[in-house]
Amino acid sequence: MEIYLPIAELSMNVFVLLGLGAAAGLLAGMFGVGGGFLATPLLIFVGIPPAVAVASQANQVIANSVSSLQVQWRRGNVDFRMGLILLLGGLFGSTAGVWLFTYLKRIGQVDFVIAVAYVVMLSTIGVLMLVESLRTYVRRRRNPQAPRGKLHTHYLVHRLPLKLRFYKSKLYISALLPIGIGFVIGVLSAILGVGGGFVLVPAMIYILGMPTAVVIGTSNFQILFVAANVTFLQAATNGTVDIVLALLLILGGVVGAPIGSRLAAKLPGVVLRGMMSILILAVATELLTELLRTPSSLYSLGTREVMP
Amino acid sequence: MTRLMAVLAVALFLASSAAAQGPRVATPPAGALVGPSIGGPVDSTVPPSVPIEPPTPDLVVDLSLARVSITSAFQGESILLFGMFDPPGEIVVVVAGPAGRETVLRKQRFLGLWLNTGRQAFDDVPAYYAIAASQPLQRLLARGAGGEILSLDDRLSSVRSFGQREHQDLIRFRLGLVEVKRREGLYPAAIGQVTIQAGRLFRVDLPFPSRLPEGVYEVRTYLLRDGKIVAAVSRPLPVAKEGFSAQLAGWAVNEGPLYGLGAILMALVAGWLGGAIMRRL
Repeated sequence: MEIYLPIAELSMNVFVLLGLGAAAGLLAGMFGVGGGFLATPLLIFVGIPPAVAVASQANQVIANSVSSLQVQWRRGNVDFRMGLILLLGGLFGSTAGVWLFTYLKRIGQVDFVIAVAYVVMLSTIGVLMLVESLRTYVRRRRNPQAPRGKLHTHYLVHRLPLKLRFYKSKLYISALLPIGIGFVIGVLSAILGVGGGFVLVPAMIYILGMPTAVVIGTSNFQILFVAANVTFLQAATNGTVDIVLALLLILGGVVGAPIGSRLAAKLPGVVLRGMMSILILAVATELLTELLRTPSSLYSLGTREVMP
Repeated sequence: MTRLMAVLAVALFLASSAAAQGPRVATPPAGALVGPSIGGPVDSTVPPSVPIEPPTPDLVVDLSLARVSITSAFQGESILLFGMFDPPGEIVVVVAGPAGRETVLRKQRFLGLWLNTGRQAFDDVPAYYAIAASQPLQRLLARGAGGEILSLDDRLSSVRSFGQREHQDLIRFRLGLVEVKRREGLYPAAIGQVTIQAGRLFRVDLPFPSRLPEGVYEVRTYLLRDGKIVAAVSRPLPVAKEGFSAQLAGWAVNEGPLYGLGAILMALVAGWLGGAIMRRL
């Protein structure tokens, strides 16, 4: 069954889009990430113009986050104080990101920047997570009774001013740190069309040292608002949000997300993190080969301008 | 009197072809055939380059659809062009989309990565270009087509380029433009087949892809004798989004901020309801 997407200006199979949405939803439920890092490259791959894919994906992330947030909220897994501080940075970051995106689109380098940014982000995070979860796994197997050690170590960043107490996360750290992280996530969210969960979740665990239990709920909280900001700005400045496309992805995601969270509840955190890192690395490798391989066609077209 | 005969003949021809083709071919209302656009000797739509030698042979053309409507279910469209002419002769049909500025980007290997380094803008590039003919084009045009632009190469040699670039390089960019357009199905490489029946009736299916730019297209029909254009009829063919798609696209362009808020609200409601329903199951 084909449907015409009015903003992307092409017709596409309904079930392909529903399936893509379901895959993104599954990841959202399992890892607390939006699944955008997987869905956006796939949308571009099936022929949706990158600008439309990025903007509509942001729209779908809203629905994904709200639906996961419902569960996390009920379980009391949202650190609102931390969420709001992250959000503060996120709103600035995403606004800057949409400007950057508009600029890159004008100079014709948006595809390249998207691809390179993806490869760099995904491979860094994937490797870090994989190493960490393998190390934890090996250590636990060798000596299951070993003490957990310190909750988190103190780096230089913990000496920054503006210290705040985050009761739910059991942290006493500078507010500048989450603001900075929020800003970076916001920029990524705008130019990559991702919620940024795949960066935010590891950053919260490894940089902020938040307990894993509250990470997913809190990241969902921040992503919800950042994605809404990106959707609004993309619609207002670039007009590239395709509601029909987003709605189909959302419908798929609604089915996928609860399945993901049920799976996640059954698996230990180390295994979950290990699986996620492998998935991230796979996507990064694929995108990198895309950049290195001689393209089938050297030519492409920029935006068409209608003559008066 | 001859005109009435011609109309009757076309109607009969259509009826028979419609029966053979099944329900896909929509029979146009009879009124469409007797409109003012019937190609008479003094048709104002005939391009000025057509030689005005009296008497100009009759060329009558009509389309099975007056416009291409892009609705939510749009998957491309096939339009039947039909008509009749004073024999002898051959028929060539050219469908050209609205002209616009296209920017061609070229990738180059840079530090091992492929990125867009070259760009070249062309003005007056047709958004769509397709040709149908009753005979292979080379044979028809062997003796020159009387100054009219017909083949894609001829059409594209007239596009204006920007900036200063070496001639050879410019040609490469132009070939690149054709390559991309061809991949998108907007410059079909295959020449459509115009079928001529009884020496004076002709018909051709004009297929349009789903990825069709909007605008007013021009469908030009030429009657050729001995490689010379002796008559030509031009019909406009508007291509536009319609219904729900048109509404949404209109809002996205004109009411950006409002459209954005609507999109956010839609996602919130869909995500919330969907999540709540799925957890009950």
